[in-house]
Amino acid sequence: MGDVGAPGTAEVLLEHLFRRQAGRIVAYLVRVFGTAHLDLAEDAVQEAMVRAMQAWPFRGIPEKPEQWLFRAAYNVAVDALRRSRRVTELPEELVQPEVVVDLDFEESLRDDELRMIFMCCRPELSPVSRVALSLKTVGGFSVREIARAFLADDATIAQRLVRAKRVIRELELTLEMPEGEELQRRLDSVLEVIYFVFNEGYGAHEGEDLIRQDLCFEALRLGRLISGSSICMPRVHALVALMALQAQRLPARINESGDLVLLEDQDRSKWDPDLKSLGFHHYRLAMAGDDVSEYHVQAAIAATHSHTPVDWIFILEMYDRLHSMNPSSIVALNRAVAISKVFGASRGLAALEGLELDGYFLFLAVRGHLLLELGELGLAADSFRAALECRCSEPERRFLSRKLADCCLSG
Amino acid sequence: MPKFVLLLHGDPSAWDKLSPEEMQQAMEQYRAWMHKPFNVGGDRLTADAGKVMRTVDGQTKTTDGPFSETKEIFGGYYMIEAADYDEAVQRASDHPHLKMGTVEVRQIWEM
Repeated sequence: MGDVGAPGTAEVLLEHLFRRQAGRIVAYLVRVFGTAHLDLAEDAVQEAMVRAMQAWPFRGIPEKPEQWLFRAAYNVAVDALRRSRRVTELPEELVQPEVVVDLDFEESLRDDELRMIFMCCRPELSPVSRVALSLKTVGGFSVREIARAFLADDATIAQRLVRAKRVIRELELTLEMPEGEELQRRLDSVLEVIYFVFNEGYGAHEGEDLIRQDLCFEALRLGRLISGSSICMPRVHALVALMALQAQRLPARINESGDLVLLEDQDRSKWDPDLKSLGFHHYRLAMAGDDVSEYHVQAAIAATHSHTPVDWIFILEMYDRLHSMNPSSIVALNRAVAISKVFGASRGLAALEGLELDGYFLFLAVRGHLLLELGELGLAADSFRAALECRCSEPERRFLSRKLADCCLSG
Repeated sequence: MPKFVLLLHGDPSAWDKLSPEEMQQAMEQYRAWMHKPFNVGGDRLTADAGKVMRTVDGQTKTTDGPFSETKEIFGGYYMIEAADYDEAVQRASDHPHLKMGTVEVRQIWEM
């Protein structure tokens, strides 16, 4: 009979241990058995976790749960390979001694994870597949969780993953790290994926909040994984700084009634101090050398927002700079907000002219807000009404309705 | 104190559909339950139907375990202490296994 709480059993599981280990074990198994066996690695990890689910509730959680899971997954993978017709006998070098999760092993795992995410971001894969594959294999998210986070249906995500894995198999993509200019390009592609994941989590869309917040922290974790490796460049620190400085606001963005709180109205005492210091730590590291990326400029903006009173003149300068690097409508919209803070609502409104963002609720909300400030109640109301027609989350919808009510009340 | 066994029946493949995060959440619930003071122990059975032995015409025959219509199998048991059936049922009522399968409560005979 299993003794409850027997010596040698752990009392607690680290938060997200299973999800974290899933990514690490897949990366490890793929390194050992090759990218062609990515599916097998994933199945082995799932099976190992199911075994844990069956044993631990009776036996207690083992003292080294990570090691238990690694060993179980490795054994499942070896058995599956032996059974499969393709491999009758396992090559000598694949028969591993017992997995010991020590410091050396931890280090090699970080390397495995890094290689894995660099493979997930290969140019041969479509941008959306890169994101889905990274979350699945490195992040340990399930198909359903990824689908929920991206408001897609399970089948669509599953199909993308199948296709991505087929590409990996057919092109025989390996975990080999690119070099020289290709490394640069791939690093940028990896950072793009990481920032995309972060923004998906950060944006106040509908969907399950917890999973979305997890996306932010997973992006932050991946960013730090790269910033702690030998291929780090200042722009990696800039991205980590940007994400940490934005994520520090997460606890203050939604109030008790689930409503959106604008940056200027947030209770800053609720901001996460650890993320703030992490952000500034990486911000300083980002300033070494002459690498200047969009992440640098955005991190500078996020850093400026961390201090009150907010230096809008500097923020406007940064948006000018960002706009010269990336003249997109979204950057122009943010720049218009900064202009209105420095030069007033009418100059801000003028800066919105010509932006082709009529279907975007944030554009219409900003325009409505500026019109309201100028006392143009009727036009402001029109703008908020148009914004309510666009796709947005429930908290955003309530926010827009309140603004619309303000226009009608004032009139 | 009288002892009771909780016989857990369920479909082991139900776990396959959970994500690592969901498994961990379920594990936390099991862990919390396992440490309740009235829980005296338990064991897990292998996920198969087992063997059934019976004597027919003086000869012992062994067959593969009972096949039922559902995929549910007897997967494990816990032993708990309780004053009577009412208390045993009440103590088992928040067992996380009830989310995936059934729990049969039986009292152990005391001499």
